[in-house]
Amino acid sequence: MFRENKRKKAMKMAVLVSILLFCLTLSGREESIIAIKGGTVLTMTGKTLPNGIVLIRGRKIEAVGTEVEIPKGAAIVDASGKYVMPGIIDAMTYYGIRPFDLNDRTDPITPQNRIIQAFYPFGDYGRGKPGIKRDQEILSGGVTTVYIAPGDQQVIGGQGAVVKTFGKNFDSMVLREAAAMDMTIGEPPKVAFGENKKSPVTRMSIAALIRKTLIGAQEFDRTLSEYAQKSAEEKEKAQKPKRDLAMEAMVKLLHREIPARVEADPVDDIRTAVRIAEEFGLDLVIDSGIGAYMLKDILAEKKIPVVLGPTSHPFITGGEVSITPELSRLMTERNAALLSEAGVKIAMASFGFGFGSLGDAVQGKWLLLEAGLATGFGLPDEEALKAVTIHAAEILGVANRVGSLEPGKDADIIILDGYPLSMKTWVERVYIEGELVFERKKAQ
Amino acid sequence: MKFKYVLVLIFVLLMLACLQTSVVRLGPSVSRPPVPADQVVIYTTADKVPGKYEEIALIHAKGEATWTDEEQMTLFLALPARAPSEQVPRAYILKGATVHTAVGPPIQDATVVIENGKITAAGKTANIPPGSRVIDVSGKVVIPGLIDAHSHLGVYELGDANEFPQPIGPENRALDALHLESPDWMEAVKGGVTTIVTGPGSGERISGQSITIKTFGDDLKKRILKESGEVKMAVNARNLSHIPAIHSTFLKAREYMEEWEKYESGDRKGPPPKRDLGLEAMVRVLKGEERVRCHIHFANDIVAFLKLKDEFGFDLTFEHSTEAYKVADEIAKRNVSCVCLPLVCRIGLPEDLMRGNAVLHKAGVKIAMHTDHPVVQEKWLRLCAAISMRYGLPEEEALKSITINPAEMARISDRAGSIEKGKDADLVVLDGPWYELKTRVEMVFVDGVLAYDRDKEEEALKEEK
Repeated sequence: MFRENKRKKAMKMAVLVSILLFCLTLSGREESIIAIKGGTVLTMTGKTLPNGIVLIRGRKIEAVGTEVEIPKGAAIVDASGKYVMPGIIDAMTYYGIRPFDLNDRTDPITPQNRIIQAFYPFGDYGRGKPGIKRDQEILSGGVTTVYIAPGDQQVIGGQGAVVKTFGKNFDSMVLREAAAMDMTIGEPPKVAFGENKKSPVTRMSIAALIRKTLIGAQEFDRTLSEYAQKSAEEKEKAQKPKRDLAMEAMVKLLHREIPARVEADPVDDIRTAVRIAEEFGLDLVIDSGIGAYMLKDILAEKKIPVVLGPTSHPFITGGEVSITPELSRLMTERNAALLSEAGVKIAMASFGFGFGSLGDAVQGKWLLLEAGLATGFGLPDEEALKAVTIHAAEILGVANRVGSLEPGKDADIIILDGYPLSMKTWVERVYIEGELVFERKKAQ
Repeated sequence: MKFKYVLVLIFVLLMLACLQTSVVRLGPSVSRPPVPADQVVIYTTADKVPGKYEEIALIHAKGEATWTDEEQMTLFLALPARAPSEQVPRAYILKGATVHTAVGPPIQDATVVIENGKITAAGKTANIPPGSRVIDVSGKVVIPGLIDAHSHLGVYELGDANEFPQPIGPENRALDALHLESPDWMEAVKGGVTTIVTGPGSGERISGQSITIKTFGDDLKKRILKESGEVKMAVNARNLSHIPAIHSTFLKAREYMEEWEKYESGDRKGPPPKRDLGLEAMVRVLKGEERVRCHIHFANDIVAFLKLKDEFGFDLTFEHSTEAYKVADEIAKRNVSCVCLPLVCRIGLPEDLMRGNAVLHKAGVKIAMHTDHPVVQEKWLRLCAAISMRYGLPEEEALKSITINPAEMARISDRAGSIEKGKDADLVVLDGPWYELKTRVEMVFVDGVLAYDRDKEEEALKEEK
């Protein structure tokens, strides 16, 4: 008894000391305070604040408003005549992934693959010569958070992740992992595996493969929970279920810890995705969704969000979505407007890696302009901005950290020299977690 | 055995029929009494309605005009047509807009008169002919119909852009592969693009001849501004064999030209030299009758190709011209024009390359933008120029790069590229600044025909709902 008490006391002391140490380290670290004032503040969740103030303390936003008291010693950033808004979120990219790392074309089903293990955001452009910094390219478009995922040539490509575009080290860049299970229904796997003369070469087989994998996961889950319910004695007798990385990942999907991100463009493929998601009780996000507007009411009713490609969405060889003549007929710039009007939550993303090693970074920087383009086709300005900020954050499951200017959120903030949805506007400054990571030179 | 003969007979008959009608005969137009105004119909390329050919014929039958062979051919070539939707007014008057003519400063509160497919007046004031339809476009912006200096629209759709096994094929003509059924033609119109230079791809060293054509119109003959001629070449990614292959062809062409000159001047007796379609096209280039369009990206390739120009003296435009800004002075010195990136957002380029167009312009190089459709869709041409403006090209210059500049490069500036009296009535009405993201195309006129009217489209969409 005595000994146990002593142990408890020691524990308590240890906890106290560690808390004290923690506090000391916190106070020891100089927390910079930045006040961005005078600009038009687009909070994305609340009202637009003309002549607003955004107060940053350390890595977080401390206050947002028109009457925020600026503490002494705060660095003042004058944003008069400018616009202040949360960093842009690109909800589907291959940022920092080498093209050859995207698709495991030997196997259509690889839920165990994690894109984070192929994430390499530090490359320069120019094949070893002093070139353009990849991160400076993407930051020039105000993009602070991106979703990265395996390519679309497999049926279940693997687990995607949400990362920031700048960080002191690798770990600090990762916001959420795994963030989703990335899948594709339709042409891309058909074509890729058709070339390899391997299944699947039809949509039937694609759907069947997804079902098989999900049923496998259900059985795996049952075995695990049955084993877990056993008493210690029984456990000793019974054989411990073997670990299975693929099934463990799929179980997360079944437990709705992560959503299924299904790239599906024609209406029938979207229907298949919805059907399977309902059968297995999955959270579903439709990617690309060129024909999604045809199913807008169903998607709205079932609260299935859509991550759309860019408005200009021209077909590009080697891009994420290869536009077949069938898709070309289906395609409309009004997709975003129609979905949004029907009440479907949409994000807009750059998709695809384009040409060369820099394509991914370069595409992301156009995202705000692409959102602007959608406003010409009936999407309200506010919805367009939300599609690249808060709605994207919500779909990615990171809205607790990013996507809007609210106290307590990460200080990922951009300052623009004009209205964000104009061709003439430039991103002037980008802050990620309170740190100024990009500044547009005056000469530019 | 007999069956075989029958087959051969049928084949020969078919061939004869083809020769008779010569599917793509595009000679000078034949004069014919004008069709009365109330019998003129608008045909659009949008829908196929069975039986419409007969309807066209019927309209002509009502008039006194008799059909010439050529006209019957035109009918044969006529695109799928739609029922007459409205009477064509005698003239259209666009009143009250800010007009960017592309050749002078913008005119505020201007009046543009469109008669018989041509612009007959554009200025502060204009006489309004009786019976014309006046369209109030005050507060809006009018720009010339846009011209894409480099596209593959109509050529790539059925996989006809590249004759890969034949690296040197100047005789190949885009016109002979032109796919007019593609819905992208109408999409181009909706984007304000009224004329394109479309041609073969860049998989070969000399891939063939381009065509310069309007994006809208039911009469192919009228639509074509330039049937063929411009020779497309491609120098790809620092490949050592590419320029020598083109060089050799030029040498052959020069010999061929000299042989014919000798024969024609009587210096050489005997039978005429053997004809060579490919070299004939090259000779037209050597004589300066046609230009070379050379797909090129890298600065060293550009310099090497300029040496070829120095040797043979042909008229030249560089296409894509990615690194042209690095050797802008060399290009300017030789009066070579550049068809430039940026393509739009999907193939973005790093920031320093994006500013290349402004560098070229400053050096005095004439530049035009291109979509390279299907790389970027034809309808986003306006965006290409707007992005160039964003990266430092002056606003008026950026507009020129999709209007008068490509017109001059394609040698069609007598007909298209600006809003001036006497030019084809190819006009775009916009609801805001031409470069802005939110701005939409409201109306597009091609050859004086209202090819696209956004209000009508909106109405149709509402009905669908």
